[in-house]
Amino acid sequence: MIRVVLTRFAWTLVILLGVSFVAFMLMRALPGDFAIAAAGSQSVSPEVLDAIRRDLGLDRPLLEQYFLWLGHALTGDLGRSFVTKQPVLSELPARFVVTFQLTLIAAIIAMTMGIATGLASARMRGRTDWFVRIYNGLILAVPNFVVATLIVLLAGLYFPQLSIFNYTPFLSDPIANLGSLLLPAFSLALAVSVTISENTRAAVLEISSQDFVMVARAKGLLPRTVLRNYLVRNALTPIITVTGLQVASLLGGSILVETIFAIPGMGQYLFDSINSRDYPVIQAIVVLAASVVILVNMLVDIAYARVDARVKA
Amino acid sequence: MSDPTLILRVRNLTARIATRKEEIHAVRGISFDIAAGEAVGFVGESGCGKSVTARAIMRLAPEGTSIALGGSVDFMGQDLLQLDEKAMRDLRGRRIAMVFQDPMTSLNPVMTIGSQIDDIVRRHTELRGRAIRQRTVELLNLVGIPNPERRADNHPHQFSGGMRQRVLIAIAISCDPDLLIADEPTTALDVTVQAQILRLLMRLREERGMSLMLITHDFGVVAGMVERVNVMYRGEIVESGSVERVFAEPAHEYTRALLHAVPRLDTAGRVL
Amino acid sequence: MSTVRAMVDTAGSQNPPADKRQRLTNGQLLLGLGIAMLAVLIIVTVFAPLIAPFDPSKTSPNSLAGPSAQHWLGTDSIGRDVLSRLIVGGRTTLLITAVAVFLALAAGLVLGLLSGYLGGMVDEIIMRVLDVVFAFPVFLLAIAVVAALGPTVPNLILTIAIVYTPAMARVVRGPVLSVKEWDHVEAARSVGVSELRLVLRHVLPMVISPIVVATSLTLSHTIFTVTALSFLGLGPPPPDPNWGGMLSEARQFMELAPLTVVGPATAIVFATLTFIVLANGLREVLDVGSWR
Repeated sequence: MIRVVLTRFAWTLVILLGVSFVAFMLMRALPGDFAIAAAGSQSVSPEVLDAIRRDLGLDRPLLEQYFLWLGHALTGDLGRSFVTKQPVLSELPARFVVTFQLTLIAAIIAMTMGIATGLASARMRGRTDWFVRIYNGLILAVPNFVVATLIVLLAGLYFPQLSIFNYTPFLSDPIANLGSLLLPAFSLALAVSVTISENTRAAVLEISSQDFVMVARAKGLLPRTVLRNYLVRNALTPIITVTGLQVASLLGGSILVETIFAIPGMGQYLFDSINSRDYPVIQAIVVLAASVVILVNMLVDIAYARVDARVKA
Repeated sequence: MSDPTLILRVRNLTARIATRKEEIHAVRGISFDIAAGEAVGFVGESGCGKSVTARAIMRLAPEGTSIALGGSVDFMGQDLLQLDEKAMRDLRGRRIAMVFQDPMTSLNPVMTIGSQIDDIVRRHTELRGRAIRQRTVELLNLVGIPNPERRADNHPHQFSGGMRQRVLIAIAISCDPDLLIADEPTTALDVTVQAQILRLLMRLREERGMSLMLITHDFGVVAGMVERVNVMYRGEIVESGSVERVFAEPAHEYTRALLHAVPRLDTAGRVL
Repeated sequence: MSTVRAMVDTAGSQNPPADKRQRLTNGQLLLGLGIAMLAVLIIVTVFAPLIAPFDPSKTSPNSLAGPSAQHWLGTDSIGRDVLSRLIVGGRTTLLITAVAVFLALAAGLVLGLLSGYLGGMVDEIIMRVLDVVFAFPVFLLAIAVVAALGPTVPNLILTIAIVYTPAMARVVRGPVLSVKEWDHVEAARSVGVSELRLVLRHVLPMVISPIVVATSLTLSHTIFTVTALSFLGLGPPPPDPNWGGMLSEARQFMELAPLTVVGPATAIVFATLTFIVLANGLREVLDVGSWR
């Protein structure tokens, strides 16, 4: 078990290095001169550009630049925004917290909906199964940014009194905060819930045909006991794994959904930075979000290996 | 029921299994009796309908299939085929219990051994609270699990195949059933462990006066375990009689073929 | 003796026996629907300039107009015909999608076949490198690349192709590994058929089904990625229309002209749905197990 964890951990480090290297190289491969981009305008005197180059270490070999940048990044120095000239890290944490909240709520909604429909589909079969599967197929075809846009549209048309763009920080009013995140989280959760639903259905169907379920029924246990203790408890591992693997989709989607609902999270920050060509911020957010996804995937893998060892040993 | 000593009286039982793909006529009108305290063997190769017969009595179909049953299964005065599902559930595990073939897959991997016995005790007895666990530990002790108090909190993967089958037997006898159906209880086990499990089943049957329906493909298993044996072939009982008679002078050629295929226990012992 | 028909308990799930013909028909129905939807997409893409009633870039003072006999879906904020933009924009979106997936498929096919067939060190190296790319969150990677290199059509295509190559390679490699142990492949090898010939003649046909299904699913994912990038302003540059960009533009005026939102939204959903339906139909008909 320890070996599994260590191997997985080492592998994660390699991937993180790969991500950081790609992110670094991309920003150095910008069309035009990085220093000009950093200066924010074309009409800068050559002396100023030289100063910027020296300041950013652009005069050194590329690999050295990378390790320099990586060292800075690891010590919390993610560079300065081209636009505000402030350290990226002064803005990012607050943004991250908002996105974290949004994705967490979305994950809870997605799990609740997905498990409910998946269970119904697997247990009732027949017409319910048919309905759920068609619903899943349709919903899967609706991207989260379309859902979000349509929700905003419908709310604007039919519930104009609902102020959906009113993001409230958690600390100023927790209830209003949750309220303001509910619709965005729902649009983010919808497609993810379909994945969870389909996987729940498959897991429950597979477990239903296991011998221990037959034994449970031969005991004369009530159907709800069999469902809870034998089917759901065993299906939970694959369900949680699938949900964990959807973090990438949730974080990626939050970029779109935050932009649409005007939520001041990491996604909106990224969107704004793309528009203002604020490359250090883009770089920082991509590296941070990718790292979160990769770390969560690692944790899911390790947790799964642990459960698997207990089940299969 | 006419004969009070009879515990099970099956008449003209038919079972058709419908899966998503096809319909199989698995049991084609069989009739047999099991008396109180009697052990009866059902022998035949796989697919002959012996396991379906057991499932038919329990009215349990594998997931994704349904079984249409015909005939009558008279269990201590009530026709099981006429009972509603709720009544059947009350009966399963309490009056008729079953031990399955593969102990490696028959226990829930995410529940402790103890809680898998607790739940049937809670379902069918008046015991509550700590008394349930007491009963569970007693049962584990009875089937020969060492350190039952401690072992009750272990998960299935911490047990060997033989030990798991003991746990499954503990589950089956937990509510003192009148009839125990053992469907190939030793097939998946090592040869040395097989004998131990069979001896355990014998002992429990004698101690508790249960009837035993022992299903196997192996004539070697029924020898010395049961009084009477039914030989099944293609969904029908082709021969039935006392073990001694069937062994000594098999009437049906299929029985002879089966007997021939299995090394006699005495000669097998010498080979080993 | 009375004969009763007792339905046996199956823990609540009694599905009536469906015969095999019925199931096949479902798959074929789905596939037929998928092909029909695909045909619509292809026709609209190929003949876009002919079908579009107006020049998609031609502005007019008649802005944000509702649907009329002339403009079926109304006009956008600078008076361009929404329907025409939708038709021509579909061409951009779908071409990027199709070319990107084709490139990913080609690269994945080569890498997967090499990896699965040669095995050993080659397999190890290819799969490890692909694993690193695979572990990247697709959408974030695409944003980073396009933001850095600039949102041009070739950049979009290349980025998306790279991002989906590992998944394709994996889909190819799995079946190849199992297929190459099969008897007739072994037999052909023992008779001295060249390796390349073996791969092309015997291995490739066996892995076609899972690849077809995977390609279809990847197409549906790619439509999401392309339109989402465009939605964020990382799509093909204006004034050429594309669905994601249209949706994003329409957002600003959607209370005045809801149809400008509904049009591109419907188009995106329809295209995505096409490939999902197609994938499911193909999976049923070709009898491919689900893959991830």
